Amino acid sequence: MGEVKRENLAEALLARHSAPRSGAGWALSARRAARDRVLALGAAGRRDEYWRYTNPAALNGAEAPDVEVLQLDETPVFDGVEKLLITFVDGVYRPDLSDDLQGENLEIMTLEEALEVDIHWASDLFGVFEARGQNPVPRPFAALNTAMAGQGVVIRANGKVTKPVALRYCRENRQSDVLLHHVIRVESGAELTVLENGAGGARLNTVMEVDVADGGSFHHLRAQGRDHTRLAITHIFARLGAEARFKSFTLTVNGQLTRNEVVLDIDGDDTKASVAGACLGDGDFLHDDTIFVTHDARDCESRQVFKKVLKNGATGVFQGKILVKADAQKTDGYQISQGLLLDDDSNFLAKPELEIYADDVACSHGSTCGAVDENSLFYLMSRGVPRKQAQNMMILAFLDEAIAEIENEELAEDIRTRLSGWAERHSA
Amino acid sequence: MSTQESIAKDGVDAETVDAVKTVGEKYKYGFATDIEMEYAPKGVNEDIVRLISSKNEEPEWMLEWRLDAFRRWEKMTEPKWAMVNYPEIDFQDIYYYARPKSMIEKPKSLDDVDPKLLETYKKLGIPLSEQAILAGVEGAGDTPVEGRKVAVDAVFDSVSVGTTFKKELAAAGVIFCSISEAIKDHPELVKKYLGTVVPPTDNYYATLNSAVFSDGSFVYIPEGVKCPMELSTYFRINAENTGQFERTLIIAEKGAQVSYLEGCTAPMRDENQLHAAVVELIIQEDADIKYSTVQNWYPGDENGVGGIYNFVTKRADCRGDRAKVMWTQVETGSAVTWKYPSCILRGDDSQGEFYSIAITNNMQQADTGTKMIHLGKRTKSRIVSKGISAGKAQNTYRGLVSIHPKAVNSRNYTQCDSLLIGDKCGAHTVPYMECRNNSSRIEHEATTSKVDDEQLFYCRQRGMGEEEAVALIVNGFAKEVLQSLPMEFAMEAQKLVAISLEGSVG
Amino acid sequence: MFEIKNLKASLADEDKQILKGMNLKIGAGEVHAIMGPNGSGKSTMSYVASGKGGYVVDEGEVLLDGANLLDMEPDERAAAGLFLAFQYPVEIPGVGNMTFLRTAVNAQRKMRGEDELNAAQFLKIVREKAKALKIDADMLKRPVNVGFSGGEKKRNEILQMAMLEPKVCILDETDSGLDVDAMKLVAEGVNALRDGKRSFLVITHYQRLLDHIVPDVVHIMADGKIIKSGGPELALEVENNGYEGLMNEVV
Repeated sequence: MGEVKRENLAEALLARHSAPRSGAGWALSARRAARDRVLALGAAGRRDEYWRYTNPAALNGAEAPDVEVLQLDETPVFDGVEKLLITFVDGVYRPDLSDDLQGENLEIMTLEEALEVDIHWASDLFGVFEARGQNPVPRPFAALNTAMAGQGVVIRANGKVTKPVALRYCRENRQSDVLLHHVIRVESGAELTVLENGAGGARLNTVMEVDVADGGSFHHLRAQGRDHTRLAITHIFARLGAEARFKSFTLTVNGQLTRNEVVLDIDGDDTKASVAGACLGDGDFLHDDTIFVTHDARDCESRQVFKKVLKNGATGVFQGKILVKADAQKTDGYQISQGLLLDDDSNFLAKPELEIYADDVACSHGSTCGAVDENSLFYLMSRGVPRKQAQNMMILAFLDEAIAEIENEELAEDIRTRLSGWAERHSA
Repeated sequence: MSTQESIAKDGVDAETVDAVKTVGEKYKYGFATDIEMEYAPKGVNEDIVRLISSKNEEPEWMLEWRLDAFRRWEKMTEPKWAMVNYPEIDFQDIYYYARPKSMIEKPKSLDDVDPKLLETYKKLGIPLSEQAILAGVEGAGDTPVEGRKVAVDAVFDSVSVGTTFKKELAAAGVIFCSISEAIKDHPELVKKYLGTVVPPTDNYYATLNSAVFSDGSFVYIPEGVKCPMELSTYFRINAENTGQFERTLIIAEKGAQVSYLEGCTAPMRDENQLHAAVVELIIQEDADIKYSTVQNWYPGDENGVGGIYNFVTKRADCRGDRAKVMWTQVETGSAVTWKYPSCILRGDDSQGEFYSIAITNNMQQADTGTKMIHLGKRTKSRIVSKGISAGKAQNTYRGLVSIHPKAVNSRNYTQCDSLLIGDKCGAHTVPYMECRNNSSRIEHEATTSKVDDEQLFYCRQRGMGEEEAVALIVNGFAKEVLQSLPMEFAMEAQKLVAISLEGSVG
Repeated sequence: MFEIKNLKASLADEDKQILKGMNLKIGAGEVHAIMGPNGSGKSTMSYVASGKGGYVVDEGEVLLDGANLLDMEPDERAAAGLFLAFQYPVEIPGVGNMTFLRTAVNAQRKMRGEDELNAAQFLKIVREKAKALKIDADMLKRPVNVGFSGGEKKRNEILQMAMLEPKVCILDETDSGLDVDAMKLVAEGVNALRDGKRSFLVITHYQRLLDHIVPDVVHIMADGKIIKSGGPELALEVENNGYEGLMNEVV
């Protein structure tokens, strides 16, 4: 009985978007395959092991919620850095609000264009990484995205790209239900930084497929929009070659529901990867990081660093896994997830997993949850720092291990400023 | 054996090989006792349930309880979420009841018990006599503690063979007997508590157990009584194709204290045998139960042939304020282990502790851990789990710490370490942490590593054989848990660590 | 200027009174020492005076220039001029030592209605004071007390004292865990801050610290009260005869 319902729900998911009709052969077949995956996987349900802490109902719902468009008078995140700006408004590429799609060592075009090209490198990635990432944990919203998304960017870095590519997601429509799909390839020895910023839609579903070739380096920094009741489900699927570098950091402030999934496959030796996030939630807020890192090569290092500050009934979820395959000797895997509960109504739910089949490894994970340490608070106050300010200092100190994962100090400082802004605004 | 050969090949001298030999003995509980048995027909159905009930001369309510459970079980499916793989169990191809013929007429006292049975326990190192010596486990004899006594309930296949020190315990008000006797002699207690911690509907194996359990131990410690001696139950599966379904119920009234030990072995047989036990602990205000297990069921051979499927449900309910429970387990045996001794911390200021060593070697698989459910205020829990995986074994820690909104000012600390020996095995950690108030604190740490080469070299350089060195290091790795065992069990466990790692290096 | 009046305080969690009517009066510029056996309430007094949670004041007052500190939050007490050098300085990972100091200094200045120090002014003062205490740049950069040795932690406390310029300093067993050289360095730091106006209350087990920070008055504390007061010679008496004799004498 339950299964039938699930399939119906999967069909309903597909029915709520209209898929682009045209495209090159490979694009059409990738979409068709994704459509079949959605139906085969069924919709996400509360009884699924990886949805036990997050109710997918609002993401499964037929319509996006009506979300007030937040008007901010402060400058957007990353505004200060020199960048190549690409703007999407309610999920639609806006050339008028974007820079020219060109840059040194950079090939860049919209997804719409790329999917029309008969022979395109993106055909090796589009829907391919997502499909691979469905096992062993099903991710139906990602398959839905591949099947239905018509907008996004396709980026290829052929060398060192000095200016970050900044994707800005604006919204004007109160009920926009947005799908964005990006395909990124960092060639051997190339370097690329991608920034993402903004809520993008009342309900946003993004997929980013990233291939980092041997010796390539990819940095990703994201600030998800502050619109209070927005929903977001995001996926990053990345494959890392030998001696590659991968860093992704996400800042989440507000939003009713956010689920960020990252699926990393470390394929080549001597690679280093880091996935980190800081989130701040006040009130009706659920924030879920679901991370799956697979080590399938020697001498690699991966880090997962997630910190969540929660108050007024906010819920933080962390599900992280390090899988070390038998041949991935000398793996160094580190994972930390911590919840800081500012009051008695908030929840922190964590499932940090290790699955290890190689013996010469050093893997560790730690997870803690609790209130601001009273001793430290007293120490600060005894030196004359008022309670509110002392607590804010403790919040920032708590988050700092995650911020420290950001490669670029200037961007990290920008994030710190946002965080202390939140702490100020929300300290009662 | 191949182990010795491979070590010898490495050019290690004969002395080292001898040293290893004395440390690493084979599974030495693998003998079978040739004894005439009475079996119920193979398979399980309502008639078998009735038969077991009538063999135990149970009252009607007990039979109804069993039948209820059986009807539920028929509608249930086996849980599949654990990280263990084993062929489908044919539940109709198992004997659910087997007792030595000599036990049909229950012996009046231990003196009347079939000498063959007594001999079996003697061979296992469990003298079923009331000597004022340290009994219970082997290896303890080296350092006798004057006047220390351990009362033993011996369960052989489906029945309890006898219980020692009953009179002396009765004088203190302690009831220690088999559960079948308790159902007859203390129905009011059994009725009041049985199934209140692990309800018959709890899970597939617990429900099956509720329907077909044949025997087990019963302990009742009245208010304010500190049990004058340690209690232990020794479980032995002997008969072929037989499942053992024992049920243990321990009640510690207000302020009562007891330390309980449990040991398990089985002969080496080529087929897999099922052991699905249920243990329920009820702990009232200020009471304290220590429950230690050395599980050494036959693990199967190095190719994974034979061995026990150990699917056990153990749970403690700290009902009163300041109630305390401590689970300690040393899991070295069984082909497959599926076991999560849990604590429900209901009373304010109640405490639960879980200390575990799980060693898997060859083709063994273990998925074990605990659940700490914090309901009362200021409740505390501590989890220390040490998993050691060797050969082609898979070893998983699975645990839940849940702190409910009303369990204010509660604490949990979890330390969960895995050690891998060799590159064909796996070590996994699956913790669930749920914190629902901010005055409580959860701390969880986990590490996975291999035996440190430098430590190994240091030991070898000082003259230890590789296996001995590994055993030593592993014992050090598991020290915190070993220390929480009653002394005599700790020594047994240390030896077991060495034995169960045999063949893991080289 | 600093006065403890009939102070009675208990542990909040247990129904156990630790301070049982303590009285103490320290004039401006004076150095007093409190000695006493373990469990006599010395540290409790310092915590209650500075406002640590977990204690209930049953009765009494702690006055600084006439204002009752017990009515204030810990940070207000600090701004009022009270400084506690902790027996076990707290480690705060993630908070840089400099950030910590600057925040504290400026918070106090702000509370007193003074201008905040800008980064350059602040840095200059810190460097100067740190140098005297042999605190290097690296120690200033590291998170507060994290990875500091016992001596480094105590020197860091004195540096904070120097930066915050309090009116009354309570030193809670500042000598514990220090070797002679480290103790001398700490004592020099303290002595440098004796300016004839600032008052000190030195809590210690041993006479040896008092060789370096010479007190004007020595108090003996037992069972939550001051049982005897006298000059520096009282400390020597304790050193030679222990507390036993003194306590019997009083009873």
